[in-house]
Amino acid sequence: MHHFNRRDFLRSAGAIAAFAAIPRAVSAAVTSPRVVVVGGGFGGATVAKYLRMWGGNVQVTLVEPNATHISCILSNLVVTGALSMSRIVLAYDALKTTHGVSIVQGMAQAIDPAGNRLTVQTASGTQILPYDHLVLSPGVDFMPAPGNWNPNLTPHAWQAGPQTTLLKNQLASMRANDTFVMTVPKSPYRCPPGPYERACVVADYLRAKGRTGAKVVLLDANASIQAEPEAFSHAFSVTHAGRIQYVPNATVLSVDSATRSIATSAMNISNAKVLNYIPNQRAGTIAAGLGVNASGFVPVNPLSYGTASFPNIHVIGDSCAVPASDGKAVPKSGHMANSQAKVCADAILRSLSGQTLDTNVATNSACYSPITARTASWLSANFVYGDIYDVNGTVKGKGMHRTDLGEAPTSGVDGDSYVDMFTWADSIFADSFK
Amino acid sequence: MNLKTMCSRSVMVGIPLLLASLAVSAQTIPPGRMLASQCAQCHGTNGAGPGFDELAGKGARDMYGDLLDMKSRPVETIMDRQARGYTDEQLRLISEYLSAQPGNGGD
Repeated sequence: MHHFNRRDFLRSAGAIAAFAAIPRAVSAAVTSPRVVVVGGGFGGATVAKYLRMWGGNVQVTLVEPNATHISCILSNLVVTGALSMSRIVLAYDALKTTHGVSIVQGMAQAIDPAGNRLTVQTASGTQILPYDHLVLSPGVDFMPAPGNWNPNLTPHAWQAGPQTTLLKNQLASMRANDTFVMTVPKSPYRCPPGPYERACVVADYLRAKGRTGAKVVLLDANASIQAEPEAFSHAFSVTHAGRIQYVPNATVLSVDSATRSIATSAMNISNAKVLNYIPNQRAGTIAAGLGVNASGFVPVNPLSYGTASFPNIHVIGDSCAVPASDGKAVPKSGHMANSQAKVCADAILRSLSGQTLDTNVATNSACYSPITARTASWLSANFVYGDIYDVNGTVKGKGMHRTDLGEAPTSGVDGDSYVDMFTWADSIFADSFK
Repeated sequence: MNLKTMCSRSVMVGIPLLLASLAVSAQTIPPGRMLASQCAQCHGTNGAGPGFDELAGKGARDMYGDLLDMKSRPVETIMDRQARGYTDEQLRLISEYLSAQPGNGGD
């Protein structure tokens, strides 16, 4: 006689729960499982593509409010006019035609986790999308600044598109002795090197345009430079000496967009020519509804990106919080979102075919940061699944442990890295969207 | 993670999908596929470009040797850092997977 073991018990108990929970619409999908992906940035596009590429007959629907994605990667060079906006516009055509992903242009409104359904608002009305797995990759939401903040007057340009154009036009209006004030959000935030990179390319633009006496004031909510500290310290004190003023420990107290004024714990500035206030950040709304940690991001299982309450609802990219060793957090970046998307896709496909999850998992981030219009630095970080550690070096659980971190040596901040930046960008654009 | 937790974890992830799971065949996933996919952000999907050096279809033994060399030499390039992030066994799996992929004949 067949012995009813623990695994069989879990399987049958689960089957009962699943039958009870699955609505009619989903049970019709017996021959073809459905995955719905929310958000068409680097994370969402990559998970949709890889699910189709690796997953045979899995039906994948990507829900995204915009007709195209505009990449934050390279967008600081659109602010300075070095690149045109069209250079960073990424279409969904190849996901549709090459990979067979269905695109629904609309905004995800609500999740019904018990019924495995997502409600989407489109131009033509409300759609209900049943799913077997749901992947959320909505990016970040911005925390409103204290005071009278209006991002249409003082752009953040931390989501590329109209905000990028607005900041570009404001920069172009600067004259001699004008001040460009920008903030670095409290960590964790999207793209750790991004604000420092922007300060560098804006300072370089002001130099190249002959705006004598014009400068960048960089108000950092953190105690120190959050990424590539050697490259950016050198850039602030040598390459752009006199054109960048770096102010750490500047917690924002209030913002007045109408007068482009800002008060911080370190310094107050009134009537700046440009105020590029980059707000503190949290998980995108649709993901945040699943429950967030103290920093405002959604804890996930590092082997599947599933959430604790709903293992078939996954959160990847900027919105998720990956268990990691203390002081060695997994960064929020397009590159990392692409990386996590592949782990998530693999885990979903293994789950759909009844296989155990792979524990030999690695993720990485790598990027190039322009320092001037001709030179760039680079950053590299690797994470491997296994024990993670607290500040005392004691094992605190399982997660993605950072196995390596580094930036370009001084000799590597050069023109070759600037050229490599475009090779990298075109490669990740294609791996995610083509 | 012990075997018991792994089993119960996988079953839990699969709970909503027992019906649908009939559709995705339990094909053998090549070892190294997910690890190697982490190279694609810079070397193209399946290592076949666009991007830096094309890796698809290159010899596994040479690729593995190059990665071990990058891992141990002083850091000069970004790959000298990236190689340091993996165990030797992971680098071997990555090399074997990418060498079996069709390339475009690029360098």
